[in-house]
Amino acid sequence: MRWTRRTVQTVTTWVVVVAWVVLDGVALANADPLPPLETALVQLVVPPLLWVVAARLVLRHWWSGPGSRTSGMDLPGRLLSVALAALPERRREWGRAMLAELAEVQGRSARWRFALSSVGAMLWLPPAGGWPVLALVAGVVVASGAAAGPAVGAAVPGLRVFAVAFTGLVGAMVVLAVARSRRPRLRLPVPAPTVLVTGGVAASIAMTVIFLRREPAAAEYLPPAAAVYLAAVLAGCLWIALAAPRWLGTGRLPPHLGAAAAVVFAAWFWLANRTDGTEPPLPLALLLALVLVSAPVAVFFVPAFAAGRAGRSFRSGLQAAVWTVTAMVPLTYAIWLPEGLRRHAVDGRLLVDAEVVAPVGMNLADALVFCLGIFPVLGLTLAVIGAGLGARTNHRAVPNDPSSSSSRRS
Amino acid sequence: MIRSRRPSAQTTAVVLALAEQPTAWRYGYQLCQQLGLKPGSLYPILVRLADRGLLETTWDTDVPAGRPPRHLYRLTGSGRVLAAELAAARSAATATRRSGPKGSPNERWQGA
Repeated sequence: MRWTRRTVQTVTTWVVVVAWVVLDGVALANADPLPPLETALVQLVVPPLLWVVAARLVLRHWWSGPGSRTSGMDLPGRLLSVALAALPERRREWGRAMLAELAEVQGRSARWRFALSSVGAMLWLPPAGGWPVLALVAGVVVASGAAAGPAVGAAVPGLRVFAVAFTGLVGAMVVLAVARSRRPRLRLPVPAPTVLVTGGVAASIAMTVIFLRREPAAAEYLPPAAAVYLAAVLAGCLWIALAAPRWLGTGRLPPHLGAAAAVVFAAWFWLANRTDGTEPPLPLALLLALVLVSAPVAVFFVPAFAAGRAGRSFRSGLQAAVWTVTAMVPLTYAIWLPEGLRRHAVDGRLLVDAEVVAPVGMNLADALVFCLGIFPVLGLTLAVIGAGLGARTNHRAVPNDPSSSSSRRS
Repeated sequence: MIRSRRPSAQTTAVVLALAEQPTAWRYGYQLCQQLGLKPGSLYPILVRLADRGLLETTWDTDVPAGRPPRHLYRLTGSGRVLAAELAAARSAATATRRSGPKGSPNERWQGA
C-alpha cells in the first residue's frame, strides 16, 4: 500500500474513532449509574471529532513540510532523515553527508545496511566537549539522582520517587545539552514566558511538598507511576522553557501569546473555584457565567489562531499552542493543591466534585488527572484546530498575495 | 600539551587511503568501499579528523538532478604530515617484524 496523504489521514481517522469507541464503550459498561443519553452521545461524538480534525490538520501541515521532503524516499532514507533531524546543528553537516551518500548506494539490502550503520554513527558522533567531560557530567548527574532520593525521602517520604525521577530527568537534559553543544549556555530568547514556566514548575514542586507535609497520608495518592509521570511532565515543561527545541522556532509572538493565555486560564481556574457556591449580584453572575464557560475554550483556541494568522503559518500557531499548554500545566497544578486543601478544610469535599466527601489526598490524584492529563489533551486539541484555522483564514484573506504561498506550504 | 597516542588501525587506514591521492577529493561511500568499513565506523573517524584540523571538507554540487550534494574529503597539510608519519611508522613496523623485535615506534598523534 502506498502511504499517500489521503491514506494516512483515513487510517488516522479510523484509528482515533475506533480507539475512542472502544474506550468509551468500556467506560460506559463500567459506569454506575449510567450517564443520561444526551451526555453519553456528546461524550461519544465530540472528543473523537475534535481529535480527528486536529490530527488531520497536523498531518496536512506535516505532509506539506517535512513530509514532502521524505515522501519520495524509501524506508532507509526516511530512517536516516529522522536521525538527521535529531542531530545538533553543528553536526548536521555530517548527517546530510551520510544522507547524500545513501543516494549513491544501490540495492535494497545494501541501502538498509548503510542507513542502519549511519544511524549508529549519528548516535555516537563524538561530543564536542569530549567523552571525558560528558562522563564527568553524567557521573555528577547519577550521584545527584542517587542522593536526591534519600535526602528528599527523609523530609517528605511520599516524594522519594518523584525526587529521583525529576533529578534524573533534569540531569539527562543537562547531559544532552553538554553532548550536543560545544559550550552549553542558557539561552533565554523569550525571558518572560521562560520565567513563567520555570516559576510554575518551582511552584508545583513547592505546593506538592507543602501538601504532603500537611497531609502525609496523601502519599498513597502519588504512587510511583504517578510520581514518575509528574516528574516527566514538569521536566518536560522545563525543557521546553529553557532549551526550546528547534522546531518550536524562534518567534517571540507565539511564546508570549501562549504564556498570556496560560495566565488567563490559571486565573479562570482560580476564579471558578473561588466563586463556586457564592451568590454574586445578577449582572456579575451573568458576566461570570459568560467568562467561566467561554474562557477555557478561548484560552487555547485564540492564541494559536492569532499566532497562526500573524505568522502566516500553521507552525506559528502550533508554537503558541505548545507554549500555552507548557505554561498552563504547572500553573494550574500549583493552584489546584492549595485550593484543594482550602476547600477540604471548609466542608471536607473535593475541588473537582463538590458533591463528594472524600479524603483530602484525592485532590492530589485529581490534580494529576486534570492538570497533567485532561486539560492539556483537550487544550492542545483546541489549540491545534485554532492554529489550522488561523493559517487557513490568513491564506484565504489574501488570495492574490504572492507571499501567501508560504502559508500554503506550511 | 600535545597528547601522543597511537591511532587505531581503522583511523590509520583512513588517513593512508586519503593520502594515496592527497590532492583529490574523496567521497565517504568511496572510502567505505575501498577500506571495507561501515559508515558507522568511517564517519566518526572523519568527524574526529575534521575536528582536529587534519581533514578538510567541501560539498560537491556537481551532481545529477534530483540528487543531493555530496560531501567530499581530503587531508589538510597537517593531515598529510600525519599520514607521512603513519606511513613511515608502518614501514618501520614491517621492517621490525622482518628483522626481529626492536621496540615499536610511538607515533605522534594529536588525539585523532
